[in-house]
Parts: sequence; structure tokens; C-alpha cells
Amino acid sequence: MQAAPKTKEGKHKKTRSSKLKNEGGGGGDADDFDAWMKSRQLIKPDDQLDLTDAELGEEVTKVLTPTNTNVIRNLVVFSFKEGEFVPAPLPGNTVTLISFPGNSLHVDSEEARLQIEESDEIGYPLPMPNYSVVEQRESILDGEEEGEGEGEGEDDEKSEAGGKQGAAEEEEAEEEEDEEGKQTEGDQGATETEPGGDDEDAPAGGQQAAAAPGKKRKLINQFNYCERATLTYCNPKRSVDTQTIPPPRSQFGGTVLQWIIYDSYQEDFEEQQKISGRTSVVRGRSTKKTIKKKTALAEMLNRKYLRCWQILERMINQNIYDDIGNDYRYWEDPADEFREGEGNLLPLWKFQYEKTKKMNVTEIVFNPAYYDLFAVCFGSHDFLKQPNEGYLCLFTVKNPSFPDYIIQTDCGVMCCDIHPSYPFLIVLGLYDGNVCVYDLRDGCKEPMYVSRGVNCKHGECVWQIRWGPDMSDGEINFFSVSSDGCVFQWILMQNKLWVTTIITLYLENEVADGPDGTRVVLKTGGSCMQFHPTDNTVFLVGTECGFIYKCSTLFSSKYLMTYNAHNMSVYRIDFNRFDSNIFVSCSGDWRVKVWEDMRPDPLFIFDLGSAVGDIKWAPYSSTVFAAVTTEGKVHVFDLNVNKYKPICVQAVVPKRKNKLTRIAFNEKLHFIVVGDEKGVTTSLKLSPNLRVMVKPPKKQLYLDQTTLQISKLEKLLSLVRELPEGAVIQDTATTVRS
Amino acid sequence: MADEGEGEKADKKVVHVYPLVKHSDMKEEMRHEVIELSVAVCEKYSSNYEMAAKTIKDTMDKKFGIYWHVVVGEGFGFEVSYETENILYLFFGGNLAIVLWKCS
Repeated sequence: MQAAPKTKEGKHKKTRSSKLKNEGGGGGDADDFDAWMKSRQLIKPDDQLDLTDAELGEEVTKVLTPTNTNVIRNLVVFSFKEGEFVPAPLPGNTVTLISFPGNSLHVDSEEARLQIEESDEIGYPLPMPNYSVVEQRESILDGEEEGEGEGEGEDDEKSEAGGKQGAAEEEEAEEEEDEEGKQTEGDQGATETEPGGDDEDAPAGGQQAAAAPGKKRKLINQFNYCERATLTYCNPKRSVDTQTIPPPRSQFGGTVLQWIIYDSYQEDFEEQQKISGRTSVVRGRSTKKTIKKKTALAEMLNRKYLRCWQILERMINQNIYDDIGNDYRYWEDPADEFREGEGNLLPLWKFQYEKTKKMNVTEIVFNPAYYDLFAVCFGSHDFLKQPNEGYLCLFTVKNPSFPDYIIQTDCGVMCCDIHPSYPFLIVLGLYDGNVCVYDLRDGCKEPMYVSRGVNCKHGECVWQIRWGPDMSDGEINFFSVSSDGCVFQWILMQNKLWVTTIITLYLENEVADGPDGTRVVLKTGGSCMQFHPTDNTVFLVGTECGFIYKCSTLFSSKYLMTYNAHNMSVYRIDFNRFDSNIFVSCSGDWRVKVWEDMRPDPLFIFDLGSAVGDIKWAPYSSTVFAAVTTEGKVHVFDLNVNKYKPICVQAVVPKRKNKLTRIAFNEKLHFIVVGDEKGVTTSLKLSPNLRVMVKPPKKQLYLDQTTLQISKLEKLLSLVRELPEGAVIQDTATTVRS
Repeated sequence: MADEGEGEKADKKVVHVYPLVKHSDMKEEMRHEVIELSVAVCEKYSSNYEMAAKTIKDTMDKKFGIYWHVVVGEGFGFEVSYETENILYLFFGGNLAIVLWKCS
């Protein structure tokens, strides 16, 4: 192979040289090319041999052998395995000059067959489907319509469109071959049984391959393909144009002069200064205003929200405590019918507040206007364990979980009172001797009035505080009693609290020797106070020495009456609701005593076995009162039922851990609330036997309950009064041992 | 009184150099940008008003589309028609007036 081109070249040279020679000899009759050649001076190498004609004419025979003489046959390679040189294998005769991979397959090959089969399966349109006569004709028609006149062969080859087209394209390149193809096509077309026009390379092979799967099919190659085309409907064209509105224009003119510039600067500057001055002033004002407005608005909103939440809270609580709520209103203990003269208490809700859990309940007062609202004071009775904060919480039965109002003070609250005609006014007495008045409408944050200064307050703990009847000029006032032995009257002036001393609780006939021969009249500390229900000027004061003084607000020189009531501090006094001459007192000496006005000896004495913290007459009956003791028990007495024993003794809190401190009757419904030392206020329902009403006699059905109650009490008292003093009423005789 | 008079005089002598918009109907954003540009260019070419005007015009053409016209000078009169929202009549530096407008 290597040798071949060389030899060819050599031959060419020879022929050319011979041609030259001929031309040189021939002359004139030559074509343009030869003429051009002639005019050229041929370049020869300098050392070219000059040969004679004979030498040139001589034939040199060269033999071409297939053996490659350049192959090195004695090539050796050192083999490490054998430890010696071994002859290398011959490199072979083939030398690859150029490798040009094609993408054609031989039609007979296995790969081609697979491809054909595959295309059959997937329906890939690579191999043409069998042509039917109709198809052929259509294709011809298409051809005519398109006007692709192929020039020659249209008439000849109507039967075979594919072949024709293929041929037409290849016409120029290989005319002779094409003609041969046409011949074969023509033969095949005549039979009209199978599509011909296969490539010259493998007409037979193609048939074979097609025959193998049972279908005859043409292979696609550059000479054999079909072209189809259609012309779709052309959309008619239309031109539309619009004209937009040109952008708006304006006219402006002016003149620029130095003085104009200067003036406009001056004007602008002045204006700016004015504005800046104004804004600074306005800003200062407006910010303040806006802040105020905002806070006010926020507060209003908050109040609204608070109200909504409170309603929601009450609803939830009513749902949670539905059974208790029903008991509270409707439950009557059926067992009472079968036990004569005895009753019991049904615990209802417990009211407490998170922050007052360790404080004592120091006072419970029902609101005179809203029967289910009551105020509870939180402080401490223990001198050594005084908290540095106190609370007054207003609870309502409708919401046992959280107080409706909370007032916080900086020392323990010892007592409070709600004004009977202005139920939003609350006065508090504090452990440090101060008093303060709150208006619940204004919120619980700031007191409306507060006592200020050393001389304008009690020297010691305020034990009880009571609103007085309005003064003749309409001023609201209240009275307070304290351990310092004074009873003060406080008047709510326009902007301050005016205080006057009503009475100083001097001990009668008790004078101690002072230094340097002076004599000091001894005082006693007040521990409780109660106004006479009908006579507004008269009030009773209980002292720490056990005396009860009957005093008047009109004068302070002497007592109207002195009761030598108890041996220890008098804790509470309460007037009977029906007969204002009757009152009851309780004391730390375990005793409860019922008194009549201006009678130095008690009518009844009861010993409850432990210190009695509080005592109250029932609002519904003239003979019923209830007391709480430090043992944690509630004692309910009905003198009409039993003159010697309570008709109900019930432990409300555990004896050892807890003590009851205060009690209050609800004015409208038959339940009581009791407060204990752990800050819990418990509400208890009175069973039917504890609230027996008087049945009017048959002859006097017209009498109302009040008259009946009074007469009942009167009847009872007449029995006691008739008895000689000291004969019946003996402390031991009525002692209750539980 | 004398003091006050002097004070007033002193006040009057103060030359304001801040850019003062005498007339403009541009949108707020655009106006700020244009004022900033004019001030910057006029400070740069404080002695060559022609150059300043040319620079402003070129920049404006690039930023806000072509057909801008700019006049920079100390004394002139003008009467122009412009595309609405595309005019700015500005005083700057105490003695300089700049007029920009767009009109194709």
C-alpha cells in the first residue's frame, strides 16, 4: 500500500512529460489550457538528468510486492520473566493512515436486521411502509401540484415517485449509475408488486432483509427517501394602526436676573424660618397632647376589654360551679325536717386571692347596694408578723375565682366600711394608724383621701371604722377607733381629710403616778365600735380591757354607760337588727354576751370554748346570731329555739392549722361568709332550721314578719328580765363544750 | 435700635447658596434626583456654564430619556413649551439659575 502512490506518481510524471513532449512537437492545435501551460517556463531542479529521447522512451519495469521491506524482523525485547531477550512479535503489515468511521450499516449484517425489526415494532417511520398503488399516485399528484418539475424522467417514472426523486437529486453527480438505477426501478415499477429503487450497493440485500421478517421494505439512504409536503391555508393579513395621544405639554416662561434670584432666596428663607418656628412650638404641644390622648384612649379601651373579660370570666365560673350555684340558690337540707332544733351549714365557694394567701382576713363587709358583693380586708392580727402590704378585695358571688376589685396598701388593712348611701365609697383602716378613702369608680390605684402627717392619724392600729350619717351641711364623714384610745371623726373636705377627736378612752378612776408628783390618767385601747342603729349620735366602744363604753358623738367628757363586759379584749359588738336596745359582744375570754341597753348585766352568756373572733346578728331573725372562734368553728344560736346551746356548731377549717376570724351575714340570701387566717373566705349556706321564721298566730295573720320578730324577742327577753340577777345567768351554766 | 438695624443689615448680606426650586411640576422622587444632579454638576463646573449645561443635559438624557434642554446662566429670559411633569426651574449658589425641561 505504501508503495502504490509512489508508483502512481511516477506514472503521472511520465505521462505529463510525454504530453509536453507531444505538445512541443505538435504546436498550434491546442486548447486554452495547453496554451496557458505552454507559455509557462517549467522549473527544473538543477541536478536533473538530461535524458535522450531513447532513454526517455525506455520502459522501466518495477515490481510491486505485498511484502513490506521496511519491517524490522530481528526486534527483541528483554523479558524479565525469563531473564533473557526474546524476539518481539512482528508489528504486522498494516499501517493505518486514516480511519474514518461511518454510520452506515451493511444491510445484511445482524445489526441492520435488528434495527429493521425494532423500527417495525415501535412504528418508527424510518423505513418506509409498503407503497400501495394509490399512495404512489397521490404522491405523484402532489409532486405535480407543487410544481417541482424534475425536468426529465417524470413521464418515464410515474410509477415510482421515491425512486424518481432520489434519482433526480443524484443525477448530476452520478449520471451513469443513476441510469442503471432507473433501469432497475423501471423493471420493478412495471411489476408493481414491490417498491424498488434500492441503492445500487445492495438491491438484493435489501430485499432479503425485508423478506426475512415477512415484510418488504425499503431501506432509507441518500438515494431512497420520500418527501411530503402540504400547504396550509394562509391567513389573510390585515393591518391595524392606532395613534396615541401625544404626551401633554405645557408652557412656562421666566426671566432670570440677579435681583430676582436674590429676592426669591430672601422670601424662601423667611418663610422657612417662620415654618420652623411654628413647627417647633406646635410639635412641643402636639406631642404632649397626643401622648395624653393616646393614654386616655388606651385606658378607655382597656376598661372596655376588662369589662368584656369580666363578663366572660363570670360566665365561665357559672358554668364551672353550676352545681354550687344551684345549691346556693335552691338547696334546702331535707334532713332538717327530722332533727328538731338543729341545723347545719353547707359550704359553697371558697374565695381567695393569690397574693393574700398568707394573710388574715381582718374584716368582711357586705355591700349595702349590691347584695352579692362583699369586701374582704387582708392584714395580720399578729403583732410580730406584720406584712408590709395589705389588700382589700371585693369579691362577688358571681365570680368566686377572682376579686372584682383589688386595692393594695403598703401595710395591713385592719378594717373597712362601705358607705350605705354611696356604695362606691370605701374607707380603710390600716395597721399603721392611717385611714384612706377609695372611690371605686375612679379605680383602685390611688386613694381619694388619705390621712397624712403624724398628728393627723391614729397612733396605733385602727381596729374598726364606720361611716357616720352625713353632717348637717352634707359632708361625708366617718369614725374610727384605734388601740391608741382615741375615737376620731374624719370629715371628707374638698381636698383633704379633716380629723377631730370624738372621745379619748380614759379609764375611770384610774390614775397612775407620774414622775415629779404628776398624775397621769390612764387610757385604754379601743378594739371595736358600733353605732346605735336608730340614734346616730350614740355608739358603743369595746376596749382592750374588756369594758364597753356607751358614748355620744355630741360630747366627750364622760361615758353614757360603762359595761364591765369581759375579762379580755372585746373583739366585736353588734346591735340587734330588730331591737336596737339589744346588742351582743364577743371577746377573747371565750364568752359571748347578750346585753340590753342601760342594763349593767348581760342577759345571756355563752362560753364557746375558745376566743370568739366575731359575732353578728342575723338580718332575718331577731333571735339568731352567729359567732366564729379560733378553733375554726362557726356557732349559730337561735335563742328562741335554745337558750343554752347553739343550734349549730360546725367546724369550717381545720382546728390546728387555721382559725376563723370574721363572719358576715348576707342581707338578702341565707348564707354567711367566714374569713380565716389563711386568707380564705368561705361562704356557707344556712340550713332551714337555722332560719326559722315566726309563724303568725291564726288570729293575727295580718302581722308582718318584723313585728312578729320584735314580739318574739320581747317575749324571750321578758322571761330573762323577770329572773333575778345572778340566779340563772351563770357562766358555767351555759358553757358549751364541744 | 442701632444694634437691631445692624443685625438686620448683617442678615440681609447673608448670601444663600442652597438650591431653591422656583418652579417644578416633577414628581417628588425625580425632582430630588434632578436637583442633586444639577447641584453636583454646577459645583463641578462652577466657572464653565456651557460645560455644566452640556453635562446636565447628557446625564438627563441618559436617565430620563432624550430631548432634554438645559439652560444654566446668571441672567436670561425664557419661554418654553415642555412635556408636562418635566420641568425644573432652580436657583442655586446665590447667582445661578438652571432651567431644565424636556420637549421632543
